Amino acid sequence: MTDRMKRNLSTSGRVLLLAAYLLLVILPIYWMMATSLKPHTEIIDAQNLTYFPQAITGENYDQLFSMYNYGSMLKNSVIISGSTAIVITLLSILGGYAFARYEFRGKGSMLMFFLLTQMIPGILVIIPLYVIFANAGLINKRFSLFIYYLVVNLPFCVITMRSFFERIPYTLEEAAFVDGCTRWQGLFKIILPIMFPGIVAVFVFAFIGSWNELIAGTIFISTSDMWTVPVGLKSLIGKYDVKWGVLMAGGVLALLPTAIMFAVMQRFVVEGLTAGAVKG
Amino acid sequence: MGWQIALYILLIVALFVLGIRLLRRYEKKHNKRFQVSRKLEPYLFIMPVLILLLLAFGYPLINSVVMSLQNYKLTQPGNSYFNNFGNFKTLFADRDIGLIIRNSLIYVVASVGMQFLLGMTLALALRRKFKGRGVYQAIVFLPWAFSAFVVGLMFRWSFNGEYGVVNDLLMKLGIITEKIAWLGTPGLSLLVVILAMIWMGVPFFAIMYLAALQSIPEDVYEAADIDGCGAVRRYFAITLPYIKPTVIMTLLLRTIWVFNSFDLIVVITGGGPANHSQTLPSYMYTRAFSGYDFGLASALGVILMVALGLYAVFFLKVTKYNKAGDF
Repeated sequence: MTDRMKRNLSTSGRVLLLAAYLLLVILPIYWMMATSLKPHTEIIDAQNLTYFPQAITGENYDQLFSMYNYGSMLKNSVIISGSTAIVITLLSILGGYAFARYEFRGKGSMLMFFLLTQMIPGILVIIPLYVIFANAGLINKRFSLFIYYLVVNLPFCVITMRSFFERIPYTLEEAAFVDGCTRWQGLFKIILPIMFPGIVAVFVFAFIGSWNELIAGTIFISTSDMWTVPVGLKSLIGKYDVKWGVLMAGGVLALLPTAIMFAVMQRFVVEGLTAGAVKG
Repeated sequence: MGWQIALYILLIVALFVLGIRLLRRYEKKHNKRFQVSRKLEPYLFIMPVLILLLLAFGYPLINSVVMSLQNYKLTQPGNSYFNNFGNFKTLFADRDIGLIIRNSLIYVVASVGMQFLLGMTLALALRRKFKGRGVYQAIVFLPWAFSAFVVGLMFRWSFNGEYGVVNDLLMKLGIITEKIAWLGTPGLSLLVVILAMIWMGVPFFAIMYLAALQSIPEDVYEAADIDGCGAVRRYFAITLPYIKPTVIMTLLLRTIWVFNSFDLIVVITGGGPANHSQTLPSYMYTRAFSGYDFGLASALGVILMVALGLYAVFFLKVTKYNKAGDF
């Protein structure tokens, strides 16, 4: 076998592999979208399953909003995830800066504590938090989820932010100090503008982390007007008569914001993932 | 309500920032430095994060240790007492616990193993530039941003026994003759959960390994080519050693993450049939919020904590996290 043949063989192997994997990724997503566009009668016709929707309809999306109050779920999710992400981003800038630019006592053990929080299953914290929130009258308030999402996402975000700070040479700040900048001016005028990718990455992590969470939502929230998107859709599965078309429509809409965010800011997110390297 | 308190926290941060600024301005004006405050600076920066974590993470954890030793049922308020390790005894006497531990192990090993293999293959295939690589990555990495909940819905629907597309496809291909009740059959229900987990987790591995692969200097490969090194040998002699730290770290951390996450189980099978797809954390969730026996659930949690703690020690030893001071 000549070298050229070998290379051709390996190239076509690679193309085949990439194509097969692409198919594996797309098929479940396609199936969800296709189902969401089918009328109910077509979905439950088990004898002839249609791989392409025969009569494309928006009735599932309609019902989602008119019968199941999806608008209110979206509102709750946006409020909780948005406020969580903003506060986390601010706190991570402060914390990340301290970890990156100072040497101080207890730094190692604090970092260790942060790492350990990543290893503890969320449910272990949720159970006692439920008791605490119940005593404080916070059950079924958005604030309970806000606090929980804040603490579960913070450690990873601080650590990620720290690695972004560490990539910026300290000499840059020193030069600014020599020119008469204070530490704060240095941080806000010199460092933060360069840090833009890091800030975006952390915001996206925090937002996606809260937006996608189901378990704590099912526990801390009890009435339907406070449901977030995952909690509301989960309650639909439990119904005696599961409407898969409506559920799939809800799933498609739930994926849209995070998918768009990820697609647009993928470069930053990938950078953040490899920088923080603690989370899945 | 939530908004007000969020605003409140924002306000505290803003005040804090303002305070430090004023202090610095004062220092500059009077040309002196507060040595002490300089030392305190990093603590001040971290304080908000630390206080939050201690209050809403550390304190509940301690609470759950106390609860694990108590008879603590939400259905009997005001009637909690220490019950002499009763919860632990109940747990060890639970005849399903063996099955659940076995499920957890199968779930973690199979998911992480396949995610690793597929992620590595994908990263290797994506290493060299080709036309459209950016778009390809944007699509293929997408499941990383997906909610486990929605992924669960997709798989639950696709593997539906009556209307599911998987049964239909398999029958049309002539692989099966009768519809399979995927989610109602012991063994198969866990398999569906594992498949969903693999599907969701490959992008993470691929992203991490791709970044690591791209940091390997090209001239090392050139030198190997000149020496007549084959592709397989090149992989094991150059590529793997280079990215070994990333491989170890992702594998170990991912193991913990997969072990801890159980949204997929809740959505796809609910642990069924009869606990055949239940893992330890999902069992804890079920016990806590179906019977409201928080004592028992916390006992399970403490056992989990010990197991994870041992695993963490092992992890820190292997990666020498202490010495590197970075992760």
